[in-house]
Amino acid sequence: MEKILKENFIFDTSAFISLESIYLLRDIIKLFNIITTNSVVKELENFAKHEDKNGKIAKRVLKFKNKFNIQKSKIKELIEFLEQTDNELYNLSLNKRFPLITDDHKLNYHTKHKIILYFSTFFLITFISAGLISKKESLEKLEKLRDIRNWENNIIYLTTKKELEKLI
Amino acid sequence: MLYVINMQTEQFNVRLSTELLKDLEIVSKLLKVNRSEWIKTKLAEDLNEEKTRLLMELGNLYTRGMITKKEVEILVGKKIADRIESVSFTAKKSIEAGKKYGKNLKRELHI
Repeated sequence: MEKILKENFIFDTSAFISLESIYLLRDIIKLFNIITTNSVVKELENFAKHEDKNGKIAKRVLKFKNKFNIQKSKIKELIEFLEQTDNELYNLSLNKRFPLITDDHKLNYHTKHKIILYFSTFFLITFISAGLISKKESLEKLEKLRDIRNWENNIIYLTTKKELEKLI
Repeated sequence: MLYVINMQTEQFNVRLSTELLKDLEIVSKLLKVNRSEWIKTKLAEDLNEEKTRLLMELGNLYTRGMITKKEVEILVGKKIADRIESVSFTAKKSIEAGKKYGKNLKRELHI
């Protein structure tokens, strides 16, 4: 696969972790420009210090670090309910008008209708619609993305599963 | 790293049966823990699990169109109803956008 579209997407830490947990990050990087901030890289590095599941995934994400487009972001508009890292990403998306990819429900809730924001499942649908992965494979990956301890994540899972079953 | 969390507390009185208190005494002596602390920990664990389970059920019903936002609001309040609506809205938006990008990508890849 070659980088053809060069569409830009801004990733937060949760997006990197989710998409690498289902081994989709390598292909995404080949096809799209992934923009992020130094604060996100630092968060990933902090995760990578631990030997738990997220720590191992973060280590794999950081292997692609040189492929990320790391940008600085000035906070012009502050959302008080959000952390500094999230405010940077929000402002980056607001100024550049690139979609922000996140699985952080708080970030989604507080930036509603202000920026273009998609959950990481966006890429599962993109890949299946482009014929790059099969329906079976996408359903398996969706199952892996499901977090049974998180009720908000479960809504994403159910909504996406319903749609994936209709596709193809 | 040590995190100090300032939690707001409120007093909540519960009458327990003598039998239950005796059992609690045995458990606290064997585990060498304070009775109140043990109850608080157990309650927090069970409550969190039950809350997640029930909100998942609620999310199921909402996703299937079997319950409206208004009904969710009556049951659990506006804050959770808004959160359910917000997650559901973005999940659907992500699907629609994914389909569009996927079709464009397919076209580009075949040129």
